[in-house]
Amino acid sequence: MNKHLLYLITIALFAIPNVHSAQTTPKKFTFTGAARGYFFGDRLDQDLAIEDSITIPRLNSGHVMADLGLNIRPNKNMEILGMVRVRNDYGGFWGSGVTFDIRQLYVKGVIGGVVRYQLGDINYRLTRYTFWNNDQEFLQNTPTIFKQQFDVVNYDHFHNLDNSWRQQGGAAEWGLVFNQFIEEIEFHTFATRVRASNNSSINDRIFTGGNVQIMQSKFLQLGWNYVNLIDVEGTSRNNTLFRNPVSSFSAKGNWDNATWDATAEAEVGTSRTRFLNDEEAPENNGSFSEVRALFKHKKSGLFARGTYKRVDSDFRSPGAQTKRLNFTGVPTAFQRTGNDQSLRPLTMLDLMRESSMYNMQLQPYLMTFLPKYDNITPFGDATPNRQGVIVEAGWKTEKGLSVEVMHANLQETRGEGTPEARKFTRNQVNVKWMRDEISKALPRRAAVELSLRQDQTNRAGTEFYRGVELTTTVASLGLEFELYEKLDFIAGWQFIEYDGFDYTAVRNNYAEIFNFSEYNVKGKENMKAAGLRYRFSEKSFLSAQVNMFDFDDADVNTAHYAVRQFMMLYQINF
Amino acid sequence: MLLITALAIQGCKVDEEFEGPSLTDLYGSFAILEDFDITDRSVNFSENETTTFTATFNKNVSWKLEIKGLSSGAVKEITGFSSQLDATNALWNGTTTVLPMFRPEECAVELTFTNEADTLRDTLNVTGGRVNTGFLLSDFETGFPSGWNTFVQSGANMTFIVQNNNSAAQGARYYDMGGTVGWDWLKGLINIPATAYGSDHFELPSNPNGLFFNVMIYKPEEINNALVLFQFKEDDNLDGTYNTANEDLFAVEVAPSVNGWSLISVNYADMVTLVNGQPAAPIGNGIREPHKLKEVSVLFLANPTSGYSQSYMDYLIFTQNGPLIP
Repeated sequence: MNKHLLYLITIALFAIPNVHSAQTTPKKFTFTGAARGYFFGDRLDQDLAIEDSITIPRLNSGHVMADLGLNIRPNKNMEILGMVRVRNDYGGFWGSGVTFDIRQLYVKGVIGGVVRYQLGDINYRLTRYTFWNNDQEFLQNTPTIFKQQFDVVNYDHFHNLDNSWRQQGGAAEWGLVFNQFIEEIEFHTFATRVRASNNSSINDRIFTGGNVQIMQSKFLQLGWNYVNLIDVEGTSRNNTLFRNPVSSFSAKGNWDNATWDATAEAEVGTSRTRFLNDEEAPENNGSFSEVRALFKHKKSGLFARGTYKRVDSDFRSPGAQTKRLNFTGVPTAFQRTGNDQSLRPLTMLDLMRESSMYNMQLQPYLMTFLPKYDNITPFGDATPNRQGVIVEAGWKTEKGLSVEVMHANLQETRGEGTPEARKFTRNQVNVKWMRDEISKALPRRAAVELSLRQDQTNRAGTEFYRGVELTTTVASLGLEFELYEKLDFIAGWQFIEYDGFDYTAVRNNYAEIFNFSEYNVKGKENMKAAGLRYRFSEKSFLSAQVNMFDFDDADVNTAHYAVRQFMMLYQINF
Repeated sequence: MLLITALAIQGCKVDEEFEGPSLTDLYGSFAILEDFDITDRSVNFSENETTTFTATFNKNVSWKLEIKGLSSGAVKEITGFSSQLDATNALWNGTTTVLPMFRPEECAVELTFTNEADTLRDTLNVTGGRVNTGFLLSDFETGFPSGWNTFVQSGANMTFIVQNNNSAAQGARYYDMGGTVGWDWLKGLINIPATAYGSDHFELPSNPNGLFFNVMIYKPEEINNALVLFQFKEDDNLDGTYNTANEDLFAVEVAPSVNGWSLISVNYADMVTLVNGQPAAPIGNGIREPHKLKEVSVLFLANPTSGYSQSYMDYLIFTQNGPLIP
């Protein structure tokens, strides 16, 4: 046994210098960054019995900005990136409206050819249940013409395509390579500061964790993941200390032959939420489990995936449940409307472009969400109190066509206010066809996207309380056609209709439900846009579009209004 | 896929306990299934009798029982959140929430509900008031106790007397202290020696923990300057006399702030030495020794420039294992 261990260690030691040692000789200084010019011209049209004589119906806003980054490589094992943002609002000449910010700053490198590290700004993610930045509502299937605006707010708030969270702290990783039994073991660890103390009543809060990945072979990978949101004792006079460790074990198996490709994945884990030194605070222990299987037919491009999941109602994972959107915010454009100047409710249009609604920091509690937009997965895959099956199937051809259908049949693990569990059903169809060249005779780029999603929430009522029945339908259509070389016509339509009733949970400071409020919705939002885009390169474009948004809701003061938006965006990445 | 199907069939179980308050309780219409009733409508608390209020509702509801003495004005409140009133949550043993204490009298009972319009009413008769255990210094029911002595300044409108009207905190009588003394904080004092109870020292336990001194103090609505100082003089060396120079004097100062009667309960172990109202170093051995208590003094004080002052006191009693539950 000892000989065997010594053999392993020897292999590991000899292997270490080879890990991540493949270094090229890059330039010592490189410039990186982005620039954009962005302009909105909005006009509000209200359908009111008495004309609104207070709200100013036209709003123009916009800015030009540049993110200027300097990448310095003092030696082959070190890299420093500093990026400043210079922004000037239109009309903000002579210094007024001009801002300078540090957008990004990090140092990274390799110690001894073995340990990779990064200090400063880091983008990090682990698994969908431990540390994951879930997409905001409507992002996934929105047409390209609307995605341009989503991309701007996501870029500004560091909501990255890989679902990582932007944090400030340090991270390190290293690995061991073996030549028997196990191919490789990777170790990843990080610690970031989520909140700074105010030296009075708020403690420093850090988010720390890591994972160990064992690549046994191409057929089997195992992982252990751990994260914890921690209040640091002694950093303020407040001795109540929040703790929320989450740990999970993950496994992935792959198998393939000439015809089939199969993958099976599983992740199980637990969470523990506590407030130390607070006698009134509860201690909640939650767990989750998820099993997935994917089968692909290589030749035809057909695939099928099945998922079973169970996420306890007490499972809390701030790293995976924090939302990008803060629905307690209010829109800045046309914030108050009508003669009584009532607050305008948030809409699909605001989600797409309202920078002030976006959250960048992990939150220790379940954030507010709007059931009318997503009542089934408001906190992503880690949404607590869900269990059931998700079945997906699809077909991807080499000719650019992809078709995906999905059916989710979920229910609560624990009823809210009643032993009866809510039942959730989601049906979704996505069809996309995209060609860089329609045909030899018509060498033009074209794309068509179609998406339809229907969500249903149900729970039977009794003679004492109402039954729950909430339906949300989201439909979208996107078109792109290259009119002339690199000049595209783009158009899109997105429609949301919601109708029904639910009880929404009102939670206390410990995230316990202490009341319910009645949630009645009946309305629809309709957004149509068309425009032109000129692609200078893959990384830069100029887009001009006209967007017509209509809002009609039976249950809010601002019963019906429309926003006509002209948007121009010039985007360069370098 | 088979595994997922099996998990889906076996795994989708819903917890029996639900999260949050019951929707039935929050949104269900309220109905009384069994009428409001009282098990004993003529109850004698002095003989340790109790009475229970009963009712049954169709859902959990936040309720409040209010029993009001029609003669004394005493009030007892019992609250709860349940679908049933019974001996576990609506039993009354004669205690009082708002002083004075109940005496033999007719009482009105009212049952109300949060967020519900219904109010249920009934009456009951208290034939004997609650009797508390403890070392009673006086409830003034037999007049000014023999063995007590007083010093009263020769100011204006001095009323250091036992009153007999319908305003007592307990029983019928209470002690009224009042007057105007323009040259001194002290208006008058009462010395309560242990000898008034037939012994050299008060027959109290030696352990101060759990021993409480209780007194009911009344603040007239228009009087805001009264101070009542209770002094506890210990004979540290057990020589039969209290020596002001080297033996402990612990004190409790009460500045009545709430109009009407209030119960003051002080743990003997928490008493301190006061000099001009401020905590000071003990004069004697500094150990709270109730069994060495030689004399209790009650000083009625007020700022000499503040004019007339007045306060009542009633039911001075030492209790063990907790404060007085009136």
